[in-house]
Amino acid sequence: MLREESPKVTRRSTRSSSSVTVEKPEPNETHLPTVDDLTFGEESISLDAVLSNFPGRRSQIFDLIRLMGPLDCPALPVMIYGGASTGKTSVVLHVLRHLNRPFVYSSCRTCYNPRILFESILNQLLLHRKCSLNGYSSAKRCDKPSDFVNLLRDALSNMVYLILDNVDLIRDWDKGSMILQFLFSLYTVLKMPQLSIILISGLPPDVYYSNMGYTDPLSLYFPEYSEEDLRQIFLRNQANRRLYSAFLDVVLKPFCRVTRSVEELCTTFASLFRKYCEPLDDLGISPNEDMKRRLYSNLKPLIAPCLNEIFRVSSHPRDGDTRGERRQKASCSSENREELEILDFHMSTSAKYLLIAAFLASRNPATLDASMFDSTGGMDNRKRKRKASEKSMEKKEIAEQEAVMKGPGSFPLERLLAIFQCIASVGNSSFGEEEEEEDEDPTGYDKENNNLMSDILLQVSSLCDANFLIKSGSCPLEGSVRYRSMVSEDLALKAARSLNFPLSKYLYRR
Amino acid sequence: MDKETPAEKSLNLIRGRLCAPSFVFRPLCASSDSNYSKLKFIVSTSITEGCNNSILLLGPRGSGKAAVLDLVVGDLLQEFPDSVSVIRLNGLLHSDDNCAFKEIARQLCMEHHLLFSKMASLDENSQFIVAMLRECGLAHKTIIFVLDEFDMFAQGKQRLLYSLLDAMQSVTSQAVVIGISSRLDADQLLEKRVRSRFSHRKILFLPPSREEFDGLLEHLLSLPADSSFPSGYVSRFNEKIKNIKSDTRFKDILRTLFNANSTMNSLLKFIFRAVSLMNLESGLLSLENFKAALSSMQRQPKLEAVRDCSILELYLLVCMRRLEVKEQRSYNFISVMKEYKTIHDSFQTSDYYAQNVCLRAFEHLRERQVTCYAENRGQTQTGEYRPMKLLISASELHQGMRSHACCPAILLKLLDH
Repeated sequence: MLREESPKVTRRSTRSSSSVTVEKPEPNETHLPTVDDLTFGEESISLDAVLSNFPGRRSQIFDLIRLMGPLDCPALPVMIYGGASTGKTSVVLHVLRHLNRPFVYSSCRTCYNPRILFESILNQLLLHRKCSLNGYSSAKRCDKPSDFVNLLRDALSNMVYLILDNVDLIRDWDKGSMILQFLFSLYTVLKMPQLSIILISGLPPDVYYSNMGYTDPLSLYFPEYSEEDLRQIFLRNQANRRLYSAFLDVVLKPFCRVTRSVEELCTTFASLFRKYCEPLDDLGISPNEDMKRRLYSNLKPLIAPCLNEIFRVSSHPRDGDTRGERRQKASCSSENREELEILDFHMSTSAKYLLIAAFLASRNPATLDASMFDSTGGMDNRKRKRKASEKSMEKKEIAEQEAVMKGPGSFPLERLLAIFQCIASVGNSSFGEEEEEEDEDPTGYDKENNNLMSDILLQVSSLCDANFLIKSGSCPLEGSVRYRSMVSEDLALKAARSLNFPLSKYLYRR
Repeated sequence: MDKETPAEKSLNLIRGRLCAPSFVFRPLCASSDSNYSKLKFIVSTSITEGCNNSILLLGPRGSGKAAVLDLVVGDLLQEFPDSVSVIRLNGLLHSDDNCAFKEIARQLCMEHHLLFSKMASLDENSQFIVAMLRECGLAHKTIIFVLDEFDMFAQGKQRLLYSLLDAMQSVTSQAVVIGISSRLDADQLLEKRVRSRFSHRKILFLPPSREEFDGLLEHLLSLPADSSFPSGYVSRFNEKIKNIKSDTRFKDILRTLFNANSTMNSLLKFIFRAVSLMNLESGLLSLENFKAALSSMQRQPKLEAVRDCSILELYLLVCMRRLEVKEQRSYNFISVMKEYKTIHDSFQTSDYYAQNVCLRAFEHLRERQVTCYAENRGQTQTGEYRPMKLLISASELHQGMRSHACCPAILLKLLDH
């Protein structure tokens, strides 16, 4: 359930997207492309426009412009760093558009190995476009830094800015530290003032220190936006600024405590604002105090649940709405997190039992299975209520810590199925009925366990696909595949509650 | 293209100077016991006497080793235009033997207008180089091999170093190998067979002294009187620089800078930053420029990272720190969440969020390199269960939280005990 890299790259107006109009292959050979084509091509934007486009980035924009200096002015390499979605790339690109200077932009996310990176830079410098005529090949074949330096020397004539985005990703490349070292000293290796290098990194410069010694570029820091900056950012391009401002008064403060990343706030605010406006007929009104209060009381119950979820996936927008309403009702009826108790996805009964069985198999030690699932059902807890000495308490604590560090244990498929059958038979009788219904299969193939087994095995594989179970490496002794349950205790308890299954009775607590 | 103002012109001029190492290091070469004179003496005697030599230039990064060498080579090329040729290699680019031989062959071909074959094998290239060395020796032409990042060539089998130095053992050849390295123990890295062929001359480069730097400031910043600038502007500009230099506050700034890092590189970066902050309307530098430049040089990335954290992320950091204080050897997300819950249970904080929100915050911290996985093993486990560690010290966390814009007071209290 790790959060994947946010898909911000696609949304940025990088040159490749915005310069398509510029670098259109000219059918007639009269137009020879020049270095001037490496600029944005459109008319440059004014400094005021850049500043107003990026609230809260005023000093960074001025610093960048100053470090770049006047036209054709030699400059030392600059490294821009700051967290995700702090406007690093867009500020650089907008400043270049404002100054109307030629540049080459390559992101190390799309250029994922040295060869692609080098060739992409050279292609842009040599004004080469991959097309069907040249078989989508690069202008030069180049995969070594030494070749790259030679080719770059030949390709450079006028002053060009080289912008390398996402430099921090290079650390994970094969031989990445060498490439980084090379990029950092590219300026001194080349000894050509025509190329001025701007590196953009998500990580501060100190992560690049290596034992080789490191010539650090001039650094420029983009801090996370403050609450006031965020207000300015969200107020931009709003149709009704008064209304939105009233909305922000309500939501910005609590959400800022959780995250200050624009991208994450943006998605949450969009859906919340829709809710906020629901009682209004006319979206153009400017709200007075009374109305603000009313809207706030309307929105208030929605804020807490929204703070506690990171994304909402709904196939139909309407579905999301009804769920939201249901949630609203639930939270109105009981103040607390009652609504979280509902299992909010559909799952068959047998899958739920399997889920619980897997959870138990991962949490309980295998040696205790026999005593747990004997005919009495559940463990007799009284036996363990001995008075614990200090030492044993300490031991217990250490064991507990170790268990937390080790995470869920792995188990073979046989154990999962055995536990499943135990708890399914103990569980409510409705499951038994269901089973009988299944047995009335028109094929009349098999009346006994086999039918069940094949169904269950199918369920196991679909649980694996849904990432509730993961297959971990095979056991060296038995050679069979082992599974591991990835379900949190909350979810297991929820599933158990929906089945009225006494899960805590079966859970071994140290 | 409109005419640029005197201010822009002076800015252009000074920035150009700062970016050209040959200009920066020229005045340091004047005295007779400078590294420049030593190096020039050694190389020029080997040229005139037609003997082989090898030298190592050692010193910290950015102390001007390559720049001084470039000055020497440039002067020698002027002095002996017909009997010197220079081959430049860089350890970062050519540490691979195959690549290095190819590059030498390429540069030799360029130099002597021969046809270079890209397809030539390692053996062919090395034979070609030996033959070229002999030919050049017979023609009394010295080849200077400049090996930047010398220590990188000493990795692996050192085949390049061996074949170069071995070829130099013969009487006919005439070559100088100059290695540049920031590792002071670079000659210890050599294999025995290479070391025995190496003449152990070393020239050490040291950071400039305060007096040298004062002279350098003058050299870098003052505008020439005879240029196309308006005459009043030049004198005003130079006067202003003189004023700044005599100011005690400026001397304090320089002292802090020297205490932190006194290599030429950082000094140049400092001046570059100050100059780029120059007010283009007045066209004059001011003391504030230098002050601002100093403060932008003194960055503390870890503190910045803590300041960037949201309140929830701070909670997680404090929890991790508390676990460390409790001498728990290792911890993962689950144990951090336990600690977070105990804090919430005992203090009833308002910031108690669901586990998935915390996990996202946790991932943010890892992305920002404030925390990281303690070990690379155990990738079979999902992220929640992998052991973590903090990458910032307690004092950094403390300081960062104190300077945080809206850090709750309770967190600071929790951090202390």
